Amino acid sequence: MKKNVLKYILTFAAITALFTACEKNVTVEVPEAKPLIVVEGVIETGQHPLILLTSSLPFFGEISTSQILANSIQGATVVINDGTISDTLQQIPGFGVYTSTIITGEVGKTYKLTVTANGQTVTSSTSILPAIPLDSLWFKVDGNKDSLGFAWAHLTDPDTLGNCYRWVAQRINHYTYGPDSGKIKDSTFISPVGGSVFEDRYINGRSFDISFPRGAFSFSTKEDDENEEKFHFKKGDTIVVKFSAIDRGCFDFWRTEESQVSSNGNPFGSPQPVHSNITGGLGVWGGYSPSFDTIIAQ
Amino acid sequence: MKKADFKLKTTKIGFKKRAQSSIFNLQSSIATLTQFNIIYSAFRCLTQSVYCTFAPANRLQLNYLFYASSLSSEFRKKFCTFLRSPTALLSFFRQKSTHTVSGYVIEKATGESLLGANVYLKENLKGTTTNQYGFYSITVPDGDYTLVVAYLGFISQEVPITLKTVDITKSFSLESASIETKEVTINGEKEDRNVQSAEMGRQKLSVEKIKTLPAFLGEVDILKTIQLLPGVSSAGEGNSGFYVRGGGPDQNLILLDEANVYNAAHLFGFFSVFNADAVQNITLTKGNMPANYGGRLSSVLDIQMKEGNNQRFGVQGGIGFVSSRLTIEGPIKKDTSSFIVSARRTFIDLFMGKPFVSSSSNFNGNKYYFYDLNAKVNYRLSDKDRLFLSGYFGRDVFRFKSSNSDFTVNIPWGNATATARWNHLFHNQLFLNTSLIFTNYDFSFEGGQEEFSFKLFSGIKDYNVKTDFTWLPNTQHTVKFGMNYIYHVFIPNNASARSGDVNFNLGDIVRQYAHDGAVYLNDNFEINDKWLLDGGVRLTLFDQVGPFDRFVNDPITNTPTDTIHYDAGQSVKAYFHVEPRFAARYSINHVSSLKASYSQNYQYIHLASLSGISLPTDTWVPSSDRVKPQFGTQYALGYFRNLKMNMYETSVEVYYKEMKDQIEYQEGFLPENQVNGNLDNFFVFGKGWSYGAEFFFKKAKGDLTGWVGYTIAWTKRQFADLNLGNTFYPKYDRRHDISVVLTYDLNARWTFGATWVYATGNLNTFPERIYLMSNGDIVEDYGGQRNNYRLPAYHRMDVSATYKIKKHKRFESSWNFSIFNVYNRYNPYIIYFDTAYDPNGKITIQAKQISLFPLIPSVTYNFKF
Repeated sequence: MKKNVLKYILTFAAITALFTACEKNVTVEVPEAKPLIVVEGVIETGQHPLILLTSSLPFFGEISTSQILANSIQGATVVINDGTISDTLQQIPGFGVYTSTIITGEVGKTYKLTVTANGQTVTSSTSILPAIPLDSLWFKVDGNKDSLGFAWAHLTDPDTLGNCYRWVAQRINHYTYGPDSGKIKDSTFISPVGGSVFEDRYINGRSFDISFPRGAFSFSTKEDDENEEKFHFKKGDTIVVKFSAIDRGCFDFWRTEESQVSSNGNPFGSPQPVHSNITGGLGVWGGYSPSFDTIIAQ
Repeated sequence: MKKADFKLKTTKIGFKKRAQSSIFNLQSSIATLTQFNIIYSAFRCLTQSVYCTFAPANRLQLNYLFYASSLSSEFRKKFCTFLRSPTALLSFFRQKSTHTVSGYVIEKATGESLLGANVYLKENLKGTTTNQYGFYSITVPDGDYTLVVAYLGFISQEVPITLKTVDITKSFSLESASIETKEVTINGEKEDRNVQSAEMGRQKLSVEKIKTLPAFLGEVDILKTIQLLPGVSSAGEGNSGFYVRGGGPDQNLILLDEANVYNAAHLFGFFSVFNADAVQNITLTKGNMPANYGGRLSSVLDIQMKEGNNQRFGVQGGIGFVSSRLTIEGPIKKDTSSFIVSARRTFIDLFMGKPFVSSSSNFNGNKYYFYDLNAKVNYRLSDKDRLFLSGYFGRDVFRFKSSNSDFTVNIPWGNATATARWNHLFHNQLFLNTSLIFTNYDFSFEGGQEEFSFKLFSGIKDYNVKTDFTWLPNTQHTVKFGMNYIYHVFIPNNASARSGDVNFNLGDIVRQYAHDGAVYLNDNFEINDKWLLDGGVRLTLFDQVGPFDRFVNDPITNTPTDTIHYDAGQSVKAYFHVEPRFAARYSINHVSSLKASYSQNYQYIHLASLSGISLPTDTWVPSSDRVKPQFGTQYALGYFRNLKMNMYETSVEVYYKEMKDQIEYQEGFLPENQVNGNLDNFFVFGKGWSYGAEFFFKKAKGDLTGWVGYTIAWTKRQFADLNLGNTFYPKYDRRHDISVVLTYDLNARWTFGATWVYATGNLNTFPERIYLMSNGDIVEDYGGQRNNYRLPAYHRMDVSATYKIKKHKRFESSWNFSIFNVYNRYNPYIIYFDTAYDPNGKITIQAKQISLFPLIPSVTYNFKF
């Protein structure tokens, strides 16, 4: 309903403007946008680092699918330093994904990242913090929707201010209905709608219940992302929740990234720049300290 | 050189008993005795028994005087006695050798009060200006004088007066110096007010003048004219909001007969709510706000409605492209009471219905109109008492009914104000005005489809009582003091919805209440011919009170997780502040002066505006436990000079302004994020500062009049939670702002007007590049800078011609022809991005510019009888 209100206000504004308005194509001279290195890197407790490198694209002009595919950065020098060893990552052939078999994520360590490619060098740093698992996790039906609902959890935030969290979830059961029948419901972890990260600024040291709706990929055209099942888990779903303690830089990136993506294109919204923790580049280098829980919605 | 023995001793010998004379007698006796003429201003004589104070410099002068004149020691003793005698001071309250002349200045033809008329004594050029009720009071030593009343555009009057045993009352009716009477030379007019007052950054505009300027679609617009002054920037085309010296639109106090007008715009700001036919005076204060005003950081726009002709009945009106107007005024009882009623309504909606719009058109089913109603009555109860009742009511109404579904929208919004004022003259030197004021602004949005309906509403309501005293003890002091109390009711943002009989629970309606009080004292003190000080202090108290629920929001879902409840009347948060204001003038000579000012202001209520354009959906919120009052400090320095017998007025002003606790929505905030909660949970706070220079050149007299204003300014803001904490330029940071305003009286029939404006383009935040995340998100990068792109400069020229048709008996009429945007400049209103996908997976982003108004001619017919 709220979205609709906005739409009507917009219609109203448009009608008003239409009285006399004239429109023309213009060239907007934004400052020369040289391509920047975009890092999407993850290091998780017990896992090897995984880094995807791409190049940014100019905002204006044409972008083709092939361009997007050709956009990953090949042959970059990617170095991770955990304070004792300096490890140069290997590229997985094909896409611009880099990994290592030497470094494994450990709680309490800080990982410095240096990427050199296309004549640019970008740096970043992230830490793996102690995990803060959920106390409990359950499914609860949303209002009078008999089989649809949200995932609920109970969390006790430690007394120290500054904890940041990220919640992602995946349905690992298979569709027994609809066009995708037989396929796994979610191929990977997905951020909930409304944002995957939060901090303890207002909830420091408290113990409370919190609910998460189901998320969807951008531009998803799957049936259950368009019908009444949208945003909801369904009775019978097997839900795996990955709940991670993250550091401030990672939190800031995802908070602002998700905020921008959800508000995009709304002329009544205020612009949302994304706060990256990559110096000289874009994207995020995030250390995760996850705990996993699985429930069956019923 | 022998130093004069000038030890002050108290003796029993009283000079005052012998000398039953005024200071003039003393002055002349000293002059006779010593051959020295004491400068009058060296004495501050308040009583017949002579009480004097001397500035140290003057004391030395006096020393020398006594020494040089070898006065008798007896005289010296006596003279010194009264300098110290406490009885001399006391006697100030008993007898006096000064008397007061006071009265009102009105316009002869209509009986309207004239504000800002110069009233002075020809002999010593001591005087004052009339206040907003046309009242003046001059207290001077007894003597014979010539009292002069002068007001630009009117024929000056002079009367001989003798101040002796009693105070006198002398009122004036001034006759308009119309073109027919142009040959009358106006002598001795005190037109150098801009140079001689301590006021900085203050402009008075005459409605008659505004009416000869080009008007958009023929609608004379006060707010648009204000934006042509240096230091005042327009928020853009189709926007009545204005920015004064880097401050936001909510930092302007807009008063209509003392009532706060919270949204001065019709149709998103294309027109302002002030019907020029109902307005008498407009005063804009953008610099040092005197202590009698408060509650806003940047400016005061004080608009006074006409009082109504108390001489004869009159009707005036006009028909334009957009609206038609009708005003009726006249005496209820001649010379004693009068009324005025003025109405304006648009008639676009008449053309938007059948048969002008086909039923398949998008316009079909839409209805939009606005109207304004102004009314005022005044009674002269006695020579000492006057009563004014005035009111304003205006509405915008938009209705939409879909032609192919049963969907309907109804959006009404508008202001209502009511003011009751009582002027009382306690004493010829003490003027009192007490006002009771009510003001209301509300916006609502009602929509529905079949059984389902919803309503969104917001608003603000004020109950205000105000008492202002003006005390004019002598020609050196103008003391103003008073109090103001407002009870605010805020409805920040609320929604309700129902389907059939079922009400949806969208939360309780949130209202916020606050007490807003102030007391002030201000003195305009003319120390001597060179120095003038205007200083004051305003004490302000703001207290948000319950009932109020503070929702503590869940940081992720933005839904309330906890509630702090305050009972009715319980203080949520109180603020108390002292706001000093100072201004000084130093006259270099009679045509030029230097002025400096310093002021501090607190602003306790805030307009939460998302887009920067003034939309009716913008809501007013009080200072609270979360929102601190905005705090502004302004320093200004100016040089004023008049040329060629005050034909040209020029000034240069520089300013530096600091604004703390400014408000913005948090990054990425959307209006739909919050309904029925605490809007202020979504605010972030930071500071702003602005500095610049304003150049003003005005030709005040002659056939060709007008001005050129140029402003160069920088405005910056810094918010910890915006733009990564880096400093940024706000959207309306204007480097250059130029306006040229000209009117030319060709003859009794034709008057021509032209305006040209140039402004540096607004700032916008545009993405520089995009990138893709592995989850499919397309992310935009702004290059790390908010407002990184400046739109092309805005410039436009408008022209107008007014043709007065020959007066037939009492019927006067005129045609006004205006051309808006003469050279058809496509000024950018919005730039947006159009994303096109083609089947091969190609994405093309193209920037598109929308320009609102091309060349638009208009014709308005005005009449009066």
